[in-house]
Amino acid sequence: MAKVLVVDDEPNIVLSLEFLMQQAGFEVDTAGDGESALARIAEGAPDLLLLDISLPGISGFDVLERLRADPAHARLPIIMLTAHGREVEREKGIALGADDYITKPFSTQALVEKVKTLLAEVS
Amino acid sequence: MVKRGSRLPRRQRLIGLWLLLSGISIFGGAVFGLWLDSIAGLEGMARLWLWLGCFSGGGTIFLVGLILERQLFTPLRHLQVQLARLVANPDARQDYPPEGWLRGLGPDLMRVREAWREDRDRLATAHAEGARSAARIRQELETLLQVLDTPLLLCDHHRRLLLFNQAAETLFEGHAGLGLGKRLGALLPIASLEDALGQLPEDGTPREILVPCDERWLHVVLRRVPHSHNETLLTLTDTTAAWSSEMGARAELAEMLPSLRRHSASLTSAADALVGVRAETPDSALGRRLEAVIDEEGQALGRQLEHMGRVMEDMHRQGERLVPLWSNDLWSSLGERHGKNGLHITPIGMPAWLQGDASALLALLDSLLPRLATHSGHSELEAEACLGNRRVYLDLIWRGHPLGEQLLDEWRGERLDALPFSPRVGDVLRQHTSDTWSLADDDGEHARLRLPLPAADRVGAPRPRTPPRPEFHDFGIAEMPAPDTELAARPLRTLEVVAFDTETTGLELRRGDTVVSIGACRIVNRRLLASDTFDLRVDPGRPIPPASTAIHGITDDDVAGAPPLGVALPRFRDYIGEAVILAHNAAFDLLAIQPPGGGIDFNMPVLDTLLLSRALDESLDGHDLDSLADRYDLSFPPGTRHTALGDARVTAELWLSLLPRLEARGVETLEQALALQASALDKEDAYAS
Repeated sequence: MAKVLVVDDEPNIVLSLEFLMQQAGFEVDTAGDGESALARIAEGAPDLLLLDISLPGISGFDVLERLRADPAHARLPIIMLTAHGREVEREKGIALGADDYITKPFSTQALVEKVKTLLAEVS
Repeated sequence: MVKRGSRLPRRQRLIGLWLLLSGISIFGGAVFGLWLDSIAGLEGMARLWLWLGCFSGGGTIFLVGLILERQLFTPLRHLQVQLARLVANPDARQDYPPEGWLRGLGPDLMRVREAWREDRDRLATAHAEGARSAARIRQELETLLQVLDTPLLLCDHHRRLLLFNQAAETLFEGHAGLGLGKRLGALLPIASLEDALGQLPEDGTPREILVPCDERWLHVVLRRVPHSHNETLLTLTDTTAAWSSEMGARAELAEMLPSLRRHSASLTSAADALVGVRAETPDSALGRRLEAVIDEEGQALGRQLEHMGRVMEDMHRQGERLVPLWSNDLWSSLGERHGKNGLHITPIGMPAWLQGDASALLALLDSLLPRLATHSGHSELEAEACLGNRRVYLDLIWRGHPLGEQLLDEWRGERLDALPFSPRVGDVLRQHTSDTWSLADDDGEHARLRLPLPAADRVGAPRPRTPPRPEFHDFGIAEMPAPDTELAARPLRTLEVVAFDTETTGLELRRGDTVVSIGACRIVNRRLLASDTFDLRVDPGRPIPPASTAIHGITDDDVAGAPPLGVALPRFRDYIGEAVILAHNAAFDLLAIQPPGGGIDFNMPVLDTLLLSRALDESLDGHDLDSLADRYDLSFPPGTRHTALGDARVTAELWLSLLPRLEARGVETLEQALALQASALDKEDAYAS
């Protein structure tokens, strides 16, 4: 079973995503900020990362940059989630190595499909 | 005030010496005669000759002195005055023809004088003809500049102001930094402009910059004027309102959007999850938590949307087309438009400031007024601006009954063809977040149509516009030396000079007398600027003695409510700026404006027309302002003498008359003029001691 790490500081959305991902057949782990996300990944890398940009402490972009700088996680599929939706942030996310970029609010169905597609591509 | 020390002029000293010598000789002759008479014992004619001989020495000295004074010295003094007047004011028509033994010089002097005047006339005519077309073009350009609504500043490469227009004067209303010859840095933050000014393309391509000025943000477009001496044109726009409304609202909206997205994402995700949970376990704890999430996020979304609505409304209300309008201006504009159609509007009540799109509002009222007149059957309407909560109600009042909402609905649907895209009346009302309705007055006889508009936060009636064509430019400033050049070496004719005078409660400044009025005017490039004046009454904090009031005419009532000296002096210091100051008998006026503990230093160079005049014409009597005004044929409006501003103006005119005489003696720089007046002061001190 593929493991998805959901990183977001909004407990309401984490609760929903956790359930929806589990319903789609994934094992789900969660983190509320960038530091704990990096710690979780160090303990055991997930198969895919859903990463919010606006996080307390280090931002989602920081987390993305550190992961891509580490050869062990250079190919870890990462989907960025953001509430800002500015074109320049999308460009920045992709430039820093995100595999996809989703603006809130999003269709949960589409998100699940995207996760499945990315995992299929990697495998 | 009249104030001066005194010393004995050279002429009086010579006359005294002559009379003394004559007296001593006559007295000596008398003593000698008595002695001779007693030892010689002469009688008859011989005794008469003895006495005549004894008195002949003193008598001769007296007679020769008298003849020299009448025939030579007095004519020489008159000739000196005549020459001084010819240099200072060649066109003065009061002449002193040579007298006494100099009478023979008369024809030659007349010839020289007339020839000089003719040459001057010829030159003046040639100059006038040559300059006529330039003057016409200049006048047209000036008029054009003054009617432009865009504030303009022109500065030279030393960042000194050469020109500003009326719109700029309105924009910087009351700012001490606005004035010809003043540095741009005194008006705008030069640090913000310096980079842009230094890198302006020579071809006139503009550069734009946003600079803070006091509490405003000014959008400044800078361009180098092609084919000029590196002059720069600045056009300014006050963008404070636009930025505060647009940027403030934009920033608020930008901050709100992520929050809306987050709540929306949580809501949709929770709803999707809830569907799945209900399908699996209809009554699980997770389902209840998801329901709570949906409820919480829904409420958060509602609050955000409400906030967004308020921001949008504010944006609409503060839209940049809504500018402060004075209700009386609106009524008078409407009155002018409709007066010719026999429709009269009488403004009543207190006028008020409101915010509106002037052209749209006028078009709307243009459309409503004739309908209202037709409906009410009256061609005489009253107009009133009533203050409400953050709103001003524009009311049109007539004798009769209120209008029905159905009729008003029809009127709201009328198109305003005078405006672009022909909006409806209702559209303009929406633009002002407004509507209109009709109500009956309490008297039961009148009704009014009410139009609520956003209030503007201004107070007081608009300032009357300044008279047309005051001095707004002086391109000669560009020829002045750089401001950082040693001031002392600056030619007198290029000096910026502030002539000032004070009126006081009395002459005993060291014993409590103080200032009741300060007047000053400015000379730039040898031009006395007519409208650039400083005229301030000062509350002396003590009664003004009647004897002083008799001189300057200022009474206790005149200074009631005037600022005290402590407030007036910083304003006067601001007015002076970087100019040199000038006064007649400056010692007195400087003491007046620098009382002990006054706190303001007037440490700029000081020129004194009294000392300069004494230094120039040491042998002449009468260096008080009245005598000198008469000597140089200076004219001033009746009643302006012995007022601070009036005397400052006469002093300025006197300075301009002394300038050519100073230059004729090689006194061309400030340093030389200060040295010359110091020499007059030294002599005064020497005589005094």
